[in-house]
Amino acid sequence: MSARSSAVTRERFMQRHVIVSQERKKEGRKTRSKETIMKLNEKSVAHYATCNSPPDKTGFLFKKGERNTAYHRRWFILKGNMLFYFEERESREPIGVIVLEGCTVELCESESEEFAFAVKFDCVKARVYKMAAENQAAMESWVKALSRASFDYMRLVVKELERQLEEVQEEARSSQAKNKPKKHQPQVQGATFSLQNAAITGPSQEGVSSRENGVSWSKPTSVPNGVSEGCVWEGDFCGRGDGVKPPPVPPRRKTNGGSPESPVSPGTGCFSKLHEWYGKEVAELRIEWMQSK
Amino acid sequence: MRFNEKELVFLSRQPPERAAELGMRGPKKGDVVKRRVVKLIVNFLFYFRTDEDEPIGALLLEQCRVEREDDQVFSIVFLDEAERKYLFECDSQEQCVEWIDAIVKASYEFMRKNLIYYRTEIHRLTGTDPLEQYGISDETRFQVNTGLPPAAT
Repeated sequence: MSARSSAVTRERFMQRHVIVSQERKKEGRKTRSKETIMKLNEKSVAHYATCNSPPDKTGFLFKKGERNTAYHRRWFILKGNMLFYFEERESREPIGVIVLEGCTVELCESESEEFAFAVKFDCVKARVYKMAAENQAAMESWVKALSRASFDYMRLVVKELERQLEEVQEEARSSQAKNKPKKHQPQVQGATFSLQNAAITGPSQEGVSSRENGVSWSKPTSVPNGVSEGCVWEGDFCGRGDGVKPPPVPPRRKTNGGSPESPVSPGTGCFSKLHEWYGKEVAELRIEWMQSK
Repeated sequence: MRFNEKELVFLSRQPPERAAELGMRGPKKGDVVKRRVVKLIVNFLFYFRTDEDEPIGALLLEQCRVEREDDQVFSIVFLDEAERKYLFECDSQEQCVEWIDAIVKASYEFMRKNLIYYRTEIHRLTGTDPLEQYGISDETRFQVNTGLPPAAT
């Protein structure tokens, strides 16, 4: 192609491109054309699957194909809120990944497979990922693990423990002051813990996220009854020679009274209620399953 | 590698932890700074053209390092490809610091470390495992050591 004609072709292409995007802007369309796939840092995501951090769960599962209805045996690795699947256990790279946010896990009836369950998402026209385990125990274990895999769930647990630790430290400080060291009374079973800054997902905030300056991380002087029965705790954690520093405190988010509840999580800010919800769901499904057999 | 794109796009519409219009430059040689709307949601950083509702792309914020490049500029680098930097230009030093802080804390693994620390500390101070009352003390994701449940006492 001569230089001139390729220049003309290019110019025509650019004109066409400009016309198309102007037309779409006129239509007020804010979505991109259907052909464009959203980018993802896939290489690094795949690296996360196989890097040295320990996975949360691994095992073989049968996964129903996207186009055809056959179930294929795949090796699965669950890490955080990412469920990776590989063709073989030895494969170096995953075939794919399922991001586990805003999903529910349900047992399901399958004509061809026993021990089947499905991962379902909230969004419109979402895919349903059908999977089957090799036995009852594996199915229950996977359902449990997957339903607690979301970032939001982890965040909730962390917040709850952060709050508990502050309470405990506060009590340790005040009992020191009174010169009466005593063992902290464990929380009453079944008490309702409402998270102080109850936002499962923080509201959109530009501007200062308040840092937690109020909490002092200084180690309390030895609490007489604080030595644990399970030495595995002391040994494992304090054994690290790097002078274990507490991790930086996640910033507290200021809420304006009624904080919006995230649509990707069941609607409750109370940790113990939320946890009950997860547990109840699994228990109910289990009963359903048993009855259907 | 396949991924559930539709669900990710849906996720990008949830209330973000943090959102702003920043200058963003990709890691490829020849990439230039472009204005993008950047949203931090769970452990993903979504980026949008300023006039579009659907994200152009997402970065999973695991196994990455965030660094201050300049007064108002920070970078994200993924550990498996440390030479490739994503650059972000902020409008102020304060904004830059806040974004760095937010992104560091946005990883699942960071939260897990926090959790393990709190769990261990509470146990050390009280003699009780705080997760026991919720019946989740055996979950691998909450374990102190390398993914194995602690030895039965």
